[in-house]
Amino acid sequence: MNAAIKLFMVIVIGVEISFIQSVPLNLCILAVSCCYLLIKRVSIKSLLYLIIYPIIPATGLLVSQLFYGIQGPIIGWVLFTRLFAYVWLGATFTMTTNIKDLAFTLEQNFRLPSKFAYGVLTAFNLVPRIITEVQTIRHASLMRGVTMQLWSPKLYFKAILAAINWSSDLSQAMISHGFVEDAPRTHVEKTTIRWSDFAIFAFWLILVQVPIFVF
Amino acid sequence: MSKRWSLRNIILIALIAIVCGVIFWLTSFIYNALTLILTPIGLAPAANDISLGLWIVAGPLAGAIFKMPGVAIFSEVAGAVVEMFLGDQWGVMNVVSGLIQGAGAELGFAVTGYKKYGHFQLLMGAIFTTLITFTWDWFKNGYSSYGAGLLIFLFIVRFISVWIFSDPIPMAINKLLKRSRAIA
Repeated sequence: MNAAIKLFMVIVIGVEISFIQSVPLNLCILAVSCCYLLIKRVSIKSLLYLIIYPIIPATGLLVSQLFYGIQGPIIGWVLFTRLFAYVWLGATFTMTTNIKDLAFTLEQNFRLPSKFAYGVLTAFNLVPRIITEVQTIRHASLMRGVTMQLWSPKLYFKAILAAINWSSDLSQAMISHGFVEDAPRTHVEKTTIRWSDFAIFAFWLILVQVPIFVF
Repeated sequence: MSKRWSLRNIILIALIAIVCGVIFWLTSFIYNALTLILTPIGLAPAANDISLGLWIVAGPLAGAIFKMPGVAIFSEVAGAVVEMFLGDQWGVMNVVSGLIQGAGAELGFAVTGYKKYGHFQLLMGAIFTTLITFTWDWFKNGYSSYGAGLLIFLFIVRFISVWIFSDPIPMAINKLLKRSRAIA
């Protein structure tokens, strides 16, 4: 399925369940997402992570509603299942699609200027270096006996200084490899949108409405 | 630094958003620890409101540095897309949150027609961000079923957190960058 349409579909469903208070609907979405991930052969480790990760915030929301909710415990369970539905629904996109597919289709089929598509893609590939850089800055200041808190402007300042250098280097590297801003591009990998993409989109969107009326 | 959407600036804005995301992520245990501590007394949503400022810092920061229309919202959305693929707690809903949070900061700059990017605009951005995100949580996180007292408490906590990370901190970072002549 086309990456952008898939993302849009998942967002639409996610926004919809934010406004509908229904435990069965959340459970249906959870079940379907789980089946989809199993069919796509996502590793068991990732699936376990998807079960464990939402537990803390979901329990927090549930307990809070049990203590302070004025509409009874049902809202607590709606929020509990909703959080799991968000995470599993999101995983059907993030665990089966990569950022390159999304960037390419947004550029080729949705008229996103290529500098945005490739610019964000470039930044994405630098994430490991950013993590190392931020850790280095914190460790360097620890060696001087200074703890850099996450609200410390100096921490952001130093990381942004590094980012300024990287952005110049990266854009120059891209330009020297023939990237021309705002010029028409040719593509080796062509992405297309088929009618089947819209059909699948409509199918799932209609199917999501079924539990709302059944339960 | 030229004020236009050049390739270099786009990469830099996205990098700034990621830097903010990474700093938050490195300390995300704070969010979970806060939630764990606050869960037994039923105040777990307060963890969300206390830490919200850290989520939204990219928008006001990029806006204050670049002083161009659209930068705040672009940085939040670009950051959200990257975080989504890194596998973060909220997955796809991150993009929606990014859009909503970016819109708050963007509106702050828009009220004065993008002519100035000072304390007043950042304060307005903080007010808009608080209002918009609170409305979103009204539906998404079940805030609609809390009593008035708790809601007022959460709202005030959220505003303070958002304001600190929308105004004094981005301005301090901006000042450091200017003093080092990294930006004009």
